[in-house]
Amino acid sequence: MMDIKTVRKEHSINYIPLLLLTRIPLRISARLMSEIDRCVRCGSCLQFCPLFNVTGEEQFSPRGKLYLLQVMDLIENDEELGRDFRRLLFQCTMCGRCKDVCSSDVDLLKIWHEQRAKAVGAAPFEFEYLDSLRDSLANVYNIYGLDPDDRAIYWLDEVEDEIPNIHDRVYTNGKTAEIMVFLGCLMSFRSSQLDVVKSFLKALEIVDADYLVMGAEEFCCGHPLHLTGDESGADNLRKHNRSVIEAAGAKKVITGCPGCLIQLRKYHNFESAVAMHHTEFFDHLLEVMPATKRTETFAYHDPCELGRILDVKEEPRSVLNKLGVKYREMDLSCCGGGGLLRMTDPNLSDKIIQLKRATERLSETTVVTACPSCREVFLSNEIQTVDIVELMAEAFEGGGG
Amino acid sequence: MKLRDVVAGANASMYHRLDFQKIRGVYYPRSEAEVVEAIEQARAKGYEITPKGGGSGLSGACTGGNRDRFIVSTLQMKELLTISKDQGYVDVQPGATPDEINEVLEPMGMKLYVSPSSRDIATLGGLLATDGGGNDTWANGTMRDNTVRVKMVLYDGRRLIVDWEGVRSDDAELALELNKKDMTIHDVASAHGTLGFVTELRVTIRPLVEEHLMGAIAVYEDFDALGSALDRMIKSETPIRYGEAIVEAHKDVRDDLTPPILILEFPEKEKASIAETTDFEEVDSGELERLKDIRIKLPKRNPNEGVQAALFEGYGFFEDSLRGMQSRMEAINGLLIEDGFEPFAKYGHGPSKWYLGDNTPAFGLIMHSREIRPTDKTGKELFETVLKIVDLCDDMGITPKPEHKWPFSDKAKKTRIEELRTIIGEGFNAFIFEPECASETLSSMV
Ligand SMILES: Cc1cc2nc3c(=O)[nH]c(=O)nc-3n(C[C@H](O)[C@H](O)[C@H](O)COP(=O)(O)OP(=O)(O)OC[C@H]3O[C@@H](n4cnc5c(N)ncnc54)[C@H](O)[C@@H]3O)c2cc1C
Ligand code: SF4
Ligand code: SF4
Repeated sequence: MMDIKTVRKEHSINYIPLLLLTRIPLRISARLMSEIDRCVRCGSCLQFCPLFNVTGEEQFSPRGKLYLLQVMDLIENDEELGRDFRRLLFQCTMCGRCKDVCSSDVDLLKIWHEQRAKAVGAAPFEFEYLDSLRDSLANVYNIYGLDPDDRAIYWLDEVEDEIPNIHDRVYTNGKTAEIMVFLGCLMSFRSSQLDVVKSFLKALEIVDADYLVMGAEEFCCGHPLHLTGDESGADNLRKHNRSVIEAAGAKKVITGCPGCLIQLRKYHNFESAVAMHHTEFFDHLLEVMPATKRTETFAYHDPCELGRILDVKEEPRSVLNKLGVKYREMDLSCCGGGGLLRMTDPNLSDKIIQLKRATERLSETTVVTACPSCREVFLSNEIQTVDIVELMAEAFEGGGG
Repeated sequence: MKLRDVVAGANASMYHRLDFQKIRGVYYPRSEAEVVEAIEQARAKGYEITPKGGGSGLSGACTGGNRDRFIVSTLQMKELLTISKDQGYVDVQPGATPDEINEVLEPMGMKLYVSPSSRDIATLGGLLATDGGGNDTWANGTMRDNTVRVKMVLYDGRRLIVDWEGVRSDDAELALELNKKDMTIHDVASAHGTLGFVTELRVTIRPLVEEHLMGAIAVYEDFDALGSALDRMIKSETPIRYGEAIVEAHKDVRDDLTPPILILEFPEKEKASIAETTDFEEVDSGELERLKDIRIKLPKRNPNEGVQAALFEGYGFFEDSLRGMQSRMEAINGLLIEDGFEPFAKYGHGPSKWYLGDNTPAFGLIMHSREIRPTDKTGKELFETVLKIVDLCDDMGITPKPEHKWPFSDKAKKTRIEELRTIIGEGFNAFIFEPECASETLSSMV
């Protein structure tokens, strides 16, 4: 390895800071080290990690990564290792299963978040593939780089037939309502989510909710940036959403997206509005629900961000039970879609869902879930899926199967 | 250096700060043929082989020390090859864990009765190499007692099948020589991967007994009272099915318990016979689960301030040392405190069974110990305390269980393995035979 002095002589001045910076994330603060040192390397988390399960190699496992942090002082001068480690941090679905099973109370998710932030901050050139995402979010406030005015366009016309007054439900300056619906980027822009959007809004109509949809005034919740450790970028988006939601006087913000819910509940710091998942909202509102006519047995996939990270486990199941939906529980493992893995390493993400598909016999069943991101993963792997809110709207309308 | 290689050093012992340059490659074979290939590569380059299972061992043996070596992991050798319900065995690759095997067996009404607390991660290969056991070892024996035969690959690529009768090999001369030395499963057990790579095990399985068991907690005044109760249980061949001791525990992790205590499970009809050996209080199933949970998590939990260290594990109290636990515990704690450690948790399987280096069985309490790690000590200083504990145990008749204690301070076992290695080769985990039980290497790894 060249030492810094030699590099200084041999390379242009622009290159030097980058080389120096590559070493920065490997240094670990005393506070973080004491958290990392809580790991006794027992190995109990290995079998629960979806990345370890598909690769079978220790470096992908939670213990492996924590171990690397524990011995970082021995390897921090190796640039190649530093680069590989930074890459490894993004080969993780941030599903939180490791944190959940760790009896040593190591806050692994917090560690992964902090390390991701450090990695991107120290070696931004290694994460150029995230630039288009960051640019889109900074300029047009959605992950797709589409015109922000189009947020409400994609689904409005489709929904109009069934909810004729839907245009009036779109927020514009001065409108107020008790509930603000936060659709999130996926549900606003993806045609694959249209049925869920329709069902969500129809269900709100049926229960006579006083609601508005944010429309073009909705900015991304900031979750993708949060997952890359860019809290200040995420904050810019959150600030806007907060001001709109507060201006509308909303007491509740309801979303169908667990990622958005993490942001709304934990980081938007609303003065009085409460952020809820749609399953929480409907479950708390309705003691009884009409029975579904569906007779098949579904498989319930608990979205990691909803069930594990936000601890919303009861309400989705309670809604299913109130509707009389028959379902079996799936393993609590990630579908492979979390943590931006579909962007950072689609190959690994595919392997995770393919393994899940095989071990849980998903080709034979319809997966019921409550997360647009999981839905995308299932659909792109030819696994039939419905959102809980679809089953609910169907039952409200007396249909379903 | 590659991350893939560095990370192979991850293991639960305190010996984890390795010279990573010396890990020359890491292999994750799926079959015996791939193991042979990895060994061939190592041999061609003059490197040693260190077999690694789940890395949950506490002696540091799965690291291979600091020698030029390949680490060959069994994490991808998890296949159940044969299940014979009638004959009561399964053939399994060495990387499967008891939990994984029982997940398949239990729906068939069968079970592998080896239950270390680490059964979710410890592999059968690792368990045999350390002769592991668990809370039911008293009733069901150690890993070696449950092993029928093993297939092994040696450093020169030759293969062996070892069972309780002796050795078979395609190389008749080798088999003859090893049989002259009466090599059996006893030798492979607790060998810490120094003889060869175990590629397949045949282990005993038995019907899942749907027995109604009752739970109980026995609370003792002091360590002598605990030791004497265990001694009475052993003498009376107590019919307990599960026995775990919490000998002492830090306030942050003991909940409302007041150790020393024993957590017991036994058939209801044996209540009277158990009562002859110890006073106890019955607990319902919910409470029993809570107690078991507190116990099983002790090796993993940390105090509110600071972190725990697995300084020295596997104190084997038996016979006199069991009956006279109080003074010995005081001596151990005295040493720890003098060296700047705050005792954190001591717990273990009891009554239990283990084998001494000459293969005679011992019965008593296997006590594990965790201390709060002082922040101002170097690795070498920490290791000095380990050596002092080893000497203290020798003086006090506490026979460390080979699974945990730095293995080859047991002279009988060490001599026996060295003798066998002159016949079958010395390419596996050779660092264990470095002078002074590899103290130099180990102390550099703390
Ligand atoms: C939280 C915790 C609780 C524990 N509880 C118990 C307990 O209740 N009872 C108990 O007995 N132990 C316990 N242990 C210790 C540990 O689980 C055992 O020593 C176990 O046997 C190690 O298995 P492993 O697969 O992790 O092996 P490793 O740690 O990977 O290796 C251990 C040894 O086995 C050798 N080895 C591994 N695979 C092979 C192979 N295929 N061929 C040849 N040699 C091989 C290695 O070279 C090494 O010498 C505990 C450990 C932890 C961290
Ligand atoms: S379960 Fe916790 S303590 Fe054990 S290896 Fe994983 S992170 Fe470390
Ligand atoms: S968050 Fe999920 S994917 Fe990431 S290390 Fe933990 S268990 Fe593995």
